[in-house]
Amino acid sequence: MSARAGTGSHRQGRERLARIWGNRPGWAGQLAAVNHGTVALRFIATGFGFMLAGGLLAMFIRLQLAWPGNRVLDAERYAQFVTMHGTTMMFLFAVPVMEGFAMYLLPKMLGARDLPLPRLGAFGYWCYLFGGLFLYAGLLSGAAPDGGWFMYVPLTDATFSPGRGADFWLVGVTFAEISAVAAAVELIVAVLVTRAPGMDIRRMPLFAWAVLVTAFMIAFGFPPLILGSILLEMQRAFGFVFFDVARGGDPLLWQHLFWLFGHPEVYIIFLPAAGVVSMVLPTFARRPMVGHLWIVLALVATGFLSFGLWVHHMFAVGIPLLALAFFSAASMAVAVPTGIQVFAWIATLWSGRPWLRLPMLHVLGFFFVFVLGGLTGVMLALVPFDWQAHDTHFVVAHLHYVLIGGLMFPLFAGLYYWLPLASGRMPSERLGRAAFWLVFAGFHLTFVPMHLTGLRGMPRRAHDYPAVLGVEWLNLLSTAGGFVLAAGTLAILLDAGLCFAAGRRARANPWRAGTLEWALPHPVPAYNFASVPEVQDRYPLWCDRTLAARSRCTDGLLGRAPDGRRELLGTGILDAAPEQVIRISHSTLLPLLAALAVAAVLACFLAKWYLASLLLLAPLLVLLLRWAWTTGDPQAPATVEAGPGLRLPTQYACRNAPGWWALVVTLLIDGSLFASLVFAYFYLWLGAEAWPPAGAGTAGGMAWLALLPLAACGLAAALAMRALAHGPGAAKWTLLAAAAAGALFLGLHLPAVAAATAAPEAHAYASVVWTLAGFHAVHVGVAIVLGLYAAARLRRGLASAARPLEVRVAAAFWGYVAGQGAVTWGVVHLFPEVA
Amino acid sequence: MAGLTAPWRLLGIAAPMAVWALHFVAAYGLQGLACARGWDRQAASATLLALAVPALVAVAWLGLRAWRTARAEREDRAAGRRRRFAALATALLSLLAAGAMVFTTVPVALLPPCA
Repeated sequence: MSARAGTGSHRQGRERLARIWGNRPGWAGQLAAVNHGTVALRFIATGFGFMLAGGLLAMFIRLQLAWPGNRVLDAERYAQFVTMHGTTMMFLFAVPVMEGFAMYLLPKMLGARDLPLPRLGAFGYWCYLFGGLFLYAGLLSGAAPDGGWFMYVPLTDATFSPGRGADFWLVGVTFAEISAVAAAVELIVAVLVTRAPGMDIRRMPLFAWAVLVTAFMIAFGFPPLILGSILLEMQRAFGFVFFDVARGGDPLLWQHLFWLFGHPEVYIIFLPAAGVVSMVLPTFARRPMVGHLWIVLALVATGFLSFGLWVHHMFAVGIPLLALAFFSAASMAVAVPTGIQVFAWIATLWSGRPWLRLPMLHVLGFFFVFVLGGLTGVMLALVPFDWQAHDTHFVVAHLHYVLIGGLMFPLFAGLYYWLPLASGRMPSERLGRAAFWLVFAGFHLTFVPMHLTGLRGMPRRAHDYPAVLGVEWLNLLSTAGGFVLAAGTLAILLDAGLCFAAGRRARANPWRAGTLEWALPHPVPAYNFASVPEVQDRYPLWCDRTLAARSRCTDGLLGRAPDGRRELLGTGILDAAPEQVIRISHSTLLPLLAALAVAAVLACFLAKWYLASLLLLAPLLVLLLRWAWTTGDPQAPATVEAGPGLRLPTQYACRNAPGWWALVVTLLIDGSLFASLVFAYFYLWLGAEAWPPAGAGTAGGMAWLALLPLAACGLAAALAMRALAHGPGAAKWTLLAAAAAGALFLGLHLPAVAAATAAPEAHAYASVVWTLAGFHAVHVGVAIVLGLYAAARLRRGLASAARPLEVRVAAAFWGYVAGQGAVTWGVVHLFPEVA
Repeated sequence: MAGLTAPWRLLGIAAPMAVWALHFVAAYGLQGLACARGWDRQAASATLLALAVPALVAVAWLGLRAWRTARAEREDRAAGRRRRFAALATALLSLLAAGAMVFTTVPVALLPPCA
């Protein structure tokens, strides 16, 4: 730290910032914390906690399979443990822990104080925690899901899984997924608008690129599963028909929806891990990343191609060969961008001066394991080979090579790499190396034999196997290896824990890294940077040696915080020039209370107290409105001073407001959910003999009449901003008119659907039509609430032509709802006539 | 309107891959439709092959435009370097997308549509 940074006024300034940004004291303060550092560390710690639980289940599985005829678990328990192991590792460990890393690191890497939507991050954490607890409550109360982590129907429908286990899975996982989509919104907005001045798209760190692509993948990839879960739960709870062949449903629809999520999911896990590798590698090769541009395009390409792979999980279900060939081709094509990344990494090492420290050791482990997993992946992408190996332990070996190779090793590399930043102390090199070799050797001992047992024909998901297969010794070896792997993993977590308590004090930037997070003093203050730094290079610390010291002074950008508010600097999306000051929320209990309200709604649903569940939506709505009303700084002036000689608008008056981009991403997510539902409609139509089935009527006059108020909603949405230019009164009346038109639309449309369509239990056609109409009706309801909210803000003078954010958001949402309504109307009323 | 166009210029990098995705979905959807509705075998294959043409043209157009931008941008100013970066990424992605589309289309010529 320079002498300048240590002088009294800067110290006082930093103490002031620490007061503004710190969590409140005590337990209540912890529960109310919204700071990204606090929330992210919770994500990471909880993620590792669930990993231990999932690992414990895996140990039972391995014990049972150690020798034929074992009686550690009976068939029922075995199915439960396999289901919970997979579910835990995918939904409660891999995705949240990576989100935790991204939430912790992104602001620090981008030179920001915090994430732009801190309450959403805290809310996501509580949803994740409660969702995970729901799932484990099921396991401990004897209602464990046992249909596999992919929950195939008809095994999981009400006939074949009559207990509550599947309900616990569907509700718990959907609850936990709220956190994934919330994180996607938050991370996209953070990367788009909160980068340090000068960090244009060329200088953006590769981890930020990886997180950006991943967040978009979550936005498109998670909704199909959320929709599938809702449909299956509606079939189980209310007798709707989507997957029941006898009444026009199709069980393959579930598989499509599940794998439409499930395959991108693999890359949602892998891409941030690849981003970690691209951060660790340059530091230890001691040179900038070779082929920066190539890695960016590989990330983008992988983000897309990975959506074209989903049917390769369904090669054995009887889809025509040509369709399989499409997916086989895409499965092999995705190896190209992955290969580009691997070669860029190798080239960086090759041309650098590698320094083999603990994080680097794990990166090398990642290369070795992941490339092997990728190769068996190319084998499985070949349809004939897949038919041979399908549902055997060969697939288990492959997926563990990809997931442990693609996630765990980079994760451990990242853990060791950034541990000095979070703890201010160095990890133990000796214990760490021993643990690495335990994990590495244990991993191969566990999973190399599984390739062989799989090729010999040992089936997956079966609790026993016949001795004639001759695989008992291989399985015993796998089990022994599994325990070595577990010991190594425990040793790594122990090492990380010990580091916080007893590690050697780390000096500043101990790995001599080049990226911005290492400019921070450690342990890191809650406000990150005392002054927002300006960036001139991809590796700012390598080219500017005084940057760290300057960012600890309080005389730069946002160093003074005169109003005592938490402020972020918002910059342009492409050029990262300063353009707004974002005032974000302080600590509050609202996210926790809102998550508790959601938990209460879902718990009542699980208990089949549907009325209570419905009534509990009221307090949830009140909490959400209170949240919206108090978010950020409602009293913020239109412009504030951001630094010496620089006045900027606050976000309420800026085009690129975080709230605006949050809406855009939310609509992408919702659009993906809606598209999945429309896909379900057409998928069921394609397989149906008659559509609509005999007896169903067609659109009557009332349905046509409903188009009028729908058009009025769209018109109001288009006019709201122009009305705002005339004055807040005009905008208010436009929004109120939209609300009235929306209510009228519902009053006309729902009876029209009722007149034309049978009860949803009758046939898949009726079910999907009712679901479409209901889905859109919920959106109209939300739009009405949102419009009334914006009208209230206008009335109170909190929104105006100079601060148009709330009206923009409400108008855009109305526009979206009107468009969605038009599509829904066309599909429900027009398509059956045409078809 | 700079605020409106800027992100689309960022996301425009992904445009060639978006074309790939559209082509992929269209090919898979059309194949499903053709088989479920019992289209003539030759017609189905021909339609699927024809589908690749507009998609390839679109990607070629995106790629060539980006390539020209990349060559025209000067390196001596930050804005120029930024645009060159985006344009080069777009051009290379077009190449990848075109390759992936050819990869998807080759089986159409080799396999019957519904067996």
